Amino acid sequence: MVAMTKEETEALIQEVLEVYPEKAQKDRAKHLAVNDQSLEKANKCITSNRKSLPGVMTIRGCAYAGSKGVVWGPIKDMIHISHGPVGCGQYSRAGRRNYYVGTTGVNTFGTMNFTSDFTEKDIVFGGDKKLAKIIDEIEVLFPLNKGISIQSECPIGLIGDDIEAVSKVKTKEHGKTIVPVRCEGFRGVSQSLGHHIANDAIRDWVLENRDGDDSFPTTPYDVAVIGDYNIGGDAWSSRTLLEEMGLRVVAQWSGDGTIAEIEKTPKVKLNLIHCYRSMNYIARHMEEKYSIPWIEYNFFGPTKIAESLRRIAAHFDDTIKEGAERVIKRYEAEYEAVIAKYKPRLQGKRVMLYVGGLRPRHVIGAYEDLGMEVVGTGYEFAHNDDYDRTIKEMGNATLLYDDVTGYEFEEFVKKIKPDLIGSGIKEKYIFQKMGVPFRQMHSWDYSGPYHGYDGFAIFARDMDMTINNPCWKNIKAPWKKDAAEGEAVKAVA
Amino acid sequence: MPSVMLRKREDGKLLFYVAKKDLEETIESLEFDTPTKWGGEVVLGDGSKYYFELLDAPPKIPTTLQAKRL
Amino acid sequence: MSQQVDNIQASYPLFRTDEYKENLANKREAYEERHPQEKIDEVFQWTTSAEYKEINFNREALTVNPAKACQPLGAVLCALGFEKTMPYVHGSQGCVAYFRTYFNRHFKEPIACVSDSMTEDAAVFGGQKNMFAGLENVKALYKPDMIAVSTTCMAEVIGDDLNAFINNAKKEGYIEQEFPTPFAHTPSFVGSHTTGWDNMFEGIARYFTLNYMEGKEVGANGKINFVPGFETYLGNFRVIHRMMKEMGVDYTMLSDPTEVLDTPADGQFRMYAGGTTMDEVKDAPNGITTFLLQPWQLEKTKKYVQTTWKHDVPKLDIPMGLEWTDSLLMKVSEVTGKPIPKSLETERGRLVDMMTDSHAWLHGKKFALYGDADFALGMTKFLLELGAEVTDVLVNHANKRWRKACEEVLKASPYGQNATVHIGCDLWHFRSLMFTNKPDFMIGNSYGKFIQRDTLYKGEEFEVPLIRIGFPIFDRHHLHRMTTLGYEGAMYILTTLVNSVLEQLDKDTRGMGTTDYNYDLVR
Repeated sequence: MVAMTKEETEALIQEVLEVYPEKAQKDRAKHLAVNDQSLEKANKCITSNRKSLPGVMTIRGCAYAGSKGVVWGPIKDMIHISHGPVGCGQYSRAGRRNYYVGTTGVNTFGTMNFTSDFTEKDIVFGGDKKLAKIIDEIEVLFPLNKGISIQSECPIGLIGDDIEAVSKVKTKEHGKTIVPVRCEGFRGVSQSLGHHIANDAIRDWVLENRDGDDSFPTTPYDVAVIGDYNIGGDAWSSRTLLEEMGLRVVAQWSGDGTIAEIEKTPKVKLNLIHCYRSMNYIARHMEEKYSIPWIEYNFFGPTKIAESLRRIAAHFDDTIKEGAERVIKRYEAEYEAVIAKYKPRLQGKRVMLYVGGLRPRHVIGAYEDLGMEVVGTGYEFAHNDDYDRTIKEMGNATLLYDDVTGYEFEEFVKKIKPDLIGSGIKEKYIFQKMGVPFRQMHSWDYSGPYHGYDGFAIFARDMDMTINNPCWKNIKAPWKKDAAEGEAVKAVA
Repeated sequence: MPSVMLRKREDGKLLFYVAKKDLEETIESLEFDTPTKWGGEVVLGDGSKYYFELLDAPPKIPTTLQAKRL
Repeated sequence: MSQQVDNIQASYPLFRTDEYKENLANKREAYEERHPQEKIDEVFQWTTSAEYKEINFNREALTVNPAKACQPLGAVLCALGFEKTMPYVHGSQGCVAYFRTYFNRHFKEPIACVSDSMTEDAAVFGGQKNMFAGLENVKALYKPDMIAVSTTCMAEVIGDDLNAFINNAKKEGYIEQEFPTPFAHTPSFVGSHTTGWDNMFEGIARYFTLNYMEGKEVGANGKINFVPGFETYLGNFRVIHRMMKEMGVDYTMLSDPTEVLDTPADGQFRMYAGGTTMDEVKDAPNGITTFLLQPWQLEKTKKYVQTTWKHDVPKLDIPMGLEWTDSLLMKVSEVTGKPIPKSLETERGRLVDMMTDSHAWLHGKKFALYGDADFALGMTKFLLELGAEVTDVLVNHANKRWRKACEEVLKASPYGQNATVHIGCDLWHFRSLMFTNKPDFMIGNSYGKFIQRDTLYKGEEFEVPLIRIGFPIFDRHHLHRMTTLGYEGAMYILTTLVNSVLEQLDKDTRGMGTTDYNYDLVR
């Protein structure tokens, strides 16, 4: 299928919008756009970070998901209490593949679910006393925890609980960091506000803990990796590259992270931001308060990795710059072999993405390294600045969709007929039934890592196995296939 | 009166960032930018205008200041 | 450089290569400020002790690794079982993202469900506007024939009135007056996912029958009704269908998601498929009676069926294992007058045949189990029928009456004498029990895998392998398509159990020249 023109893409958007009631149609129209590389600013073509419409089947989650599920949950040596009813903690337990090393249940707690399991009584009389007791019980049963965060679920903000007061009292009593987080699910329009609230809670309750404490020996080459959740080990296949070029990765935020690493971060020389959306807030804060500069980088695919390594190195002296070149050189044979093997199998394949955070733009380069083309992309919870950063990455006349609805996504796919879709578990089975090869691009479909050179090899292997697996050939029963082809032949004749 | 964080971009341009408004724009012009007088009217990349209270010296960047929308 | 292009390795074993091991060891030593390994080991050992178990069971406020989910999850599953029905959750949108994901992961199927995305303003002013727009939009986009409304805790805490909101939406023309919109309040701070199923079902039954009881007569349609409850084994719906067909009994399955949760991959996505029709629900009061397949979780439904439909609900247990399947079939036969056919008698005989074949491997083997109340009771019953010993039965959401019932089942068997029944407990309690009571196996959902790992970490001789029967099962494929009810279900359970025993025995006896004298070809 040839690329669509601007007019064709516009017509497609109009066609898909037709079914909406008037008011909803007007709203959704603002979130769907045809990409135009000449635009400097995305707000000229697309609206984002607005409330989802009721009843349209948004794919978005909530502030709690952004805070507990994304930012706080992976900090492995703290205990994160899902404070409120039982569900939220259960649904978000151990599903995100934030890899970590530790003795779970003893000194790390990443795949566990601690909850206050609210009952009607707690709603009516308040949950503060229960929370205080929970913290005491945690201290007895899990004595090696390094701190506790309280992740508020919807009711907390509605019943007037004072979790901040409980936290202060208990911090004093136990001498441990206890952090109240006001990430009730109804706040904001998506996960995004949860990221922000979580960043602010780290800023207010954790980050200053070691101000004035110089016991940690620093070097001029100390950096922190910010916004890598170590999904399938992403942060690990990233940190090795950075350390190989001569840097020290002092902290991982927050995949496989510890509270000690978070506390040491104000002492680094440069913050490296992978997921800009979920952690730019804390980077900006550290820039202002501790004068630590930050840069964004992209470790998907060899082109972007090399670009990023050089950009990072530019902030350091020649030993690091040479280190970057050395690393790029060292992996050259590895990634060239990967491209030589997989590019011929994937060349020209068209991809549609719909993910969160950074991926709708960051993975484009990796697909392009394999000769593939991203023809549609969109974010669950982006802001303007994300789309600003996306416009240049996408081809002209490609499709952008913000907070896409289940209906729109299905219709777009029917028309654009991509060779591969990269999105989430809620979308996966819909498109697989339609016969479209699909990879989950949140969880790496239980594979990964995808970051770094080692990750790129896995990424290439996975895209190939899914696009070229023989299962797709059998979607149509053979007797049906003949009929369909027969008709097509007739039509041509 | 939004809280504005000012920071330098890698290319040296000054950025005007308002987290709550999801706004990050370059500063195209600033009324006063001398060693003894800093502030006044700011024009952003998107054409919008704000006003900083006058300061006796340029602030240390990055910093957060209050600005008035004009 | 760790990747070879002809042998690309994912996270395992990639991160076990020396380069990564060294890097991560350095991370631990230089930055993490980890407790000393001896301290970690010491605390780990302590968490496996009887002393720790004591402290653990004295917990009053904290829940760790619960064995339940929340109400609206159940409401969504219930709604999915009706024809062209869209589950609609009034409240925060994140909940729906979670429900869909949770079911996606278990069934490996698409799950249609919408929310009306209430945010801060709705928390202040109530969610009526969201309801108006939500109903209008969902109907336009997804064209359901029925919208089944349930609630999240947010809507419940602020006290939104579903009945009023829905009626106002109709009055103001957002959807037609006659459009079917059953609803149920499903606060997640009350009960569990099974309560939510019960509430939603009662809501649907009420909506279509409460004001239409005139002219309804018990037995008029000659059918019997089945209410499955929160049931995630597709085979369990199918086995009831099959057995009733074999008996020649006319029946209605009230909530049947077997089609929509098992659609083919043939190039087309079907948002709706199969399911109980509205006419079947409307006609249900005319049935001879209503069988509750999981009675402990269907208390509200039972009350409604008894008082409004005037059905004499048979007092039965979940038809799991041999004897309780016998009871179900005999009762069906009794109320319908249809004899139990030869085919089912043969099937029963085949099950008994399997039990005789395998009894030697299961007799006296010790099992601990956890899960929903009815499942746990049925599994207990069947284990005892097999001569297996039950050590612990744990249910998070069951009440004291249930505990008593379970204890009676255990007491009635010589193999249940040493068992303890735990209610209101979670999987961290269960973990303690696995260390202190050391059964041969545990039976439960995927969450049990972490407990298996923990027991293995203490030492091979302490390992308690997990047998995956329950919900959710995220880490094995397609088990949700199996059957656990009826004779057929008992065959599946029996096969699973006995082969787990044999796998374990093979594992224990395959040491070359040490234990492999017992590594038998024939077992």
